[in-house]
Amino acid sequence: MSTDTNQISVNAAGVEISGLRKSYGSNEVLKGIDLNVAPGEVVCLIGPSGSGKSTLLRCVNLLEQPNGGSILVGGFNATDPEVNLDKMRQKVGMVFQQFNLFPHLTVLENCTVAPIKVLKRKKVDAQKIAKSHLERVGLGDFGERYPDQLSGGQQQRVAIARALSMEPTLMLFDEPTSALDPETVGEVLAIMKSLAQAGMTMLVVTHEMAFAKEVADRVVFMDGGVVVEEGKASEVIGNPQQPRTQDFLRRVLDPTHVDI
Amino acid sequence: MAMTTSQRARMSKTIQIVLFVAIIIALIAIVDWKKAGYAFFSFNKLGPMFPDMILVGLKNTIFYTIISFAFGLALGLLLALMKMASFAPYRWFATAFIEFFRGIPAILVLLAFGFGLPQAFGTQWPQPVNVMCALGLVSAAYIAETLRAGLQAVPKGQTEAARSLGMPAWRAMLTIVIPQAFKIVLPPMTNEIILLTKDTSLAFILGAAMAQYEMTKFGRDGISQLDAGLTPLVVAGLFYLVITIPLSLVARKFESRAAKTKR
Repeated sequence: MSTDTNQISVNAAGVEISGLRKSYGSNEVLKGIDLNVAPGEVVCLIGPSGSGKSTLLRCVNLLEQPNGGSILVGGFNATDPEVNLDKMRQKVGMVFQQFNLFPHLTVLENCTVAPIKVLKRKKVDAQKIAKSHLERVGLGDFGERYPDQLSGGQQQRVAIARALSMEPTLMLFDEPTSALDPETVGEVLAIMKSLAQAGMTMLVVTHEMAFAKEVADRVVFMDGGVVVEEGKASEVIGNPQQPRTQDFLRRVLDPTHVDI
Repeated sequence: MAMTTSQRARMSKTIQIVLFVAIIIALIAIVDWKKAGYAFFSFNKLGPMFPDMILVGLKNTIFYTIISFAFGLALGLLLALMKMASFAPYRWFATAFIEFFRGIPAILVLLAFGFGLPQAFGTQWPQPVNVMCALGLVSAAYIAETLRAGLQAVPKGQTEAARSLGMPAWRAMLTIVIPQAFKIVLPPMTNEIILLTKDTSLAFILGAAMAQYEMTKFGRDGISQLDAGLTPLVVAGLFYLVITIPLSLVARKFESRAAKTKR
């Protein structure tokens, strides 16, 4: 897959999160998160399940409504009740663990429906842009297929192309490879890597430590709704300082080693 | 003498078939064919029923079905959305409406429109409007529940993906959720239209000018006016099948296409 020949110019935006809180009933999932992502930066969120990392990601484009704190995305104050969320979300691409492709639309229609209906692009223009992104993810010939005719890895690549077709300034990835067969994980990570190299701002929730170490500028380790440790990828993963980070990484990197 | 499982299964099937055939033969033997032939099969005496049975009766049955369904579908969709609304009074209203109209016989609602409304408001609506409102209200209660189930069967991730692409809630509903829900609700909706087709026969209770008769009314009048026993009702019944069986076939075609492609 030669994705490098097909670079796009990215107009990257940053994210500023401060004091972010989120509760479900009496269960506080995020206990005051501060996190900045610079334009063009790639930040990986790691941590055990239930640590709040997916919730944090979903708060950035307001799929979850925070209970406190503020989030600035590009020029938008996401937590301002007056903000135009739809306008903001046009600039924030989201890739889900379960792909969430639209099963009743073809691959090409998946990538053009929002540009046509939301950005009011002409159909031919939307198709042209969508096709270039499908080619970028190596699926230029798959436009007329339906999602259920593709493998998991192919579906996730379409989901990335669908998000890119809106020409976002920030991409959110919520465990994009967790639902994939092991042999298709690599093709998705390769595309994410090329996207990072193209200068896209990326916030990635992942369990792929090798990817985080290689691609991320910064890694944030979360546990129990707080940021426990953050820093350069090589440092947090290669030489963690906090006991909880060390414990987590030992389990993830050496799964057969179990302390009983 | 022990039998193997397959021998026993074959034996059991044979017994079932023999019993079934015996019951049919017994019924045929008991029936007074002279009377039954007159009562049910005096097709040669039905001349006066036609062509009005088709030009007026069949036409009105189809017409009443379509207007009632259109009204019921629009109202049912509104109720389904109200039932899923975050504003509690909407949910209460929708629940009360659905429980009420699902719980009382359609014929009572028809009578309310035909005879209650004139007494309450001093106005008499045309027959088709009464039928449309009465049957529409009742079917809306059923349709609302069907639509709600269908809309909620579309995975939440679909809405999330659509909203993440910047679609407003109404656009996500219209472009992403409803087309997928449509395939889910097609079988129960077919049921609903078929039930509605048959319920239009209740319109006879309102009495009306000949131009507004539907098929059952023609059948009932045929009993008293023609010397053909119950044959006019047999014919009316056959004409209902002329409507409902093609409906089932079309729906089944849609379903199998949807099942084959999962979309």
